[in-house]
Amino acid sequence: MRRIESGKVLSNHKLAKGMYRMDISLPDISSEVQGPGQFISLTVGEGWQMPLRRPMSIASVENESISIIYKIFGEGTVWLKDRSSGEVIEAIGPLGNKFSLDKINGKEIILVGGGVGVAPILYLHDQLSEDNRDHLLIVGSVTAAEQFLEHSPKAGIHLTTDDGSVGEKGTVMTMLEILADKVENPYIIACGPKPMLAAIYKFTTEKGLEGQFAVESYMACGTGLCQGCVIETTKNFNKEHSYHQKYSLVCSDGPVYDINAIRI
Amino acid sequence: MNTTIGSIELKNPILVASGTFGYGEKSDEFSDVNQLGGIITKSITLHPREGNPPPRIVETASGMLNSIGLANIGVDRYISDMLPKYDDLNTSVIMNIAGSSLTEYINVLEAVEAVPNSLAGYEINISCPNVGEGGMEFGVDCDLTSQLTSELRQRTDKLLVIKLSPNVTNIAAIAQSAEGAGADAVSAINTVVGMSINPATRKSNVYTKLCGLSGPAVKPVGVAAVYKISQSVSIPVIGIGGITKGVDVVEYLLAGASAVQVGTANFRDPAAGLKILTEFHDFCDKNNISDLTELIGGLRDDT
Repeated sequence: MRRIESGKVLSNHKLAKGMYRMDISLPDISSEVQGPGQFISLTVGEGWQMPLRRPMSIASVENESISIIYKIFGEGTVWLKDRSSGEVIEAIGPLGNKFSLDKINGKEIILVGGGVGVAPILYLHDQLSEDNRDHLLIVGSVTAAEQFLEHSPKAGIHLTTDDGSVGEKGTVMTMLEILADKVENPYIIACGPKPMLAAIYKFTTEKGLEGQFAVESYMACGTGLCQGCVIETTKNFNKEHSYHQKYSLVCSDGPVYDINAIRI
Repeated sequence: MNTTIGSIELKNPILVASGTFGYGEKSDEFSDVNQLGGIITKSITLHPREGNPPPRIVETASGMLNSIGLANIGVDRYISDMLPKYDDLNTSVIMNIAGSSLTEYINVLEAVEAVPNSLAGYEINISCPNVGEGGMEFGVDCDLTSQLTSELRQRTDKLLVIKLSPNVTNIAAIAQSAEGAGADAVSAINTVVGMSINPATRKSNVYTKLCGLSGPAVKPVGVAAVYKISQSVSIPVIGIGGITKGVDVVEYLLAGASAVQVGTANFRDPAAGLKILTEFHDFCDKNNISDLTELIGGLRDDT
């Protein structure tokens, strides 16, 4: 059940260059969260200067609070950065679907996160670790300043930077190609900027690999009303909330899709 | 706080605008739609429409641009899947119809008229700016508005509302044409044509380039349109554009509206309509207003 809830900011701090993490106390919404991939949508600013909510992927759920990881992108995220502990933020959620892990038994999961796309990937990484499920994690950025995890190949955590300032030099693709070749039966789960997803899409298609993407989209409502957040599909998402054949609503059908169900 | 639009008595003057509340069948998890004055359902065309390619929306200062492109399920599925759901609602449901030709509007309305239903009436979208053939040619032309209204009037006894575009030289003249051809009411405004460009990429932020502006940014445009129309016609005017607060409703009523529609605010808060209704009632209580006629057209001429 989706809820509207006002919650106190518990903490709000810088993780890396341009990237922040905010913990918000949201008992009602957090009790409804089904898993990684789902998101909440926050009001930003005072009054109606910025009328649209900002969809934010859930990075973790703990003790009735929800964490988000956001990148400074425009006025809305600058406003979020300036919130102090104790201030109240309004959220709607949980929205969207979660990564589906049932159908990937017997495969080796490779998680790939880029930019703020790390939020749902880290949530999934935590969940898989709790379940003692083996997996690999690749997090890519342009430079070391944008990374906040430790490069730890032994623990299955591989950072990549375009300039080689931390981890492996190159994009996530360099690392993904190596790891996908090493493991027996790779299954790719990724979230990040469109060019990254497009590169992974090309790779998995060529290699005949399966996987899931959590996609980002501009949204007005996040609840299926506005029909604004469409993505082109290869499958027919002819459901009650989304009757489209060519397009699917990211907020309601997604944000998680099988890689072969969408066109990037 | 009843208000009368044609033959329909609305329990209060606050409705939710077409395209901002889906088909009116699912927002009840956030609010009780039965408390609203009415629901205008998303534009329906004769055949299902996929809508425009993404990106379809972008935020602008105190507003948003959209170019959804009339994505909808088509009249057949509206009749089979949606109409039965309205039987259980205790509020007025008004169906919004869009078309690209006179025949299309007529066919949609006739298809719905042919089945028993609990609709209160129809709102005719002659003003969608976002599709090549969105009825816009009707919305900018007095004779075509008159012809369309007249053809539809002959085919229904239900409430017939014509939704007007602000993207015209003289909105009052179009309203007079609708009135003359038998419309029960007019609603205004549909979105204002707008555009947004990313300076870094030099690309349009919305696929179709030209799109429709809504939200608080357009409220003064809506209030002025309602004022101009209400000075020129005697049928009720339903005010639309940028309503987010109870006092916005008061403003529209003073300009001459008999009811209003809440649109973009629903995207931020699916319970916006009911919150605005509560604020509106509070305003009326504080100002000892017991009847909406005390507000409708109550703009004072002294400054």
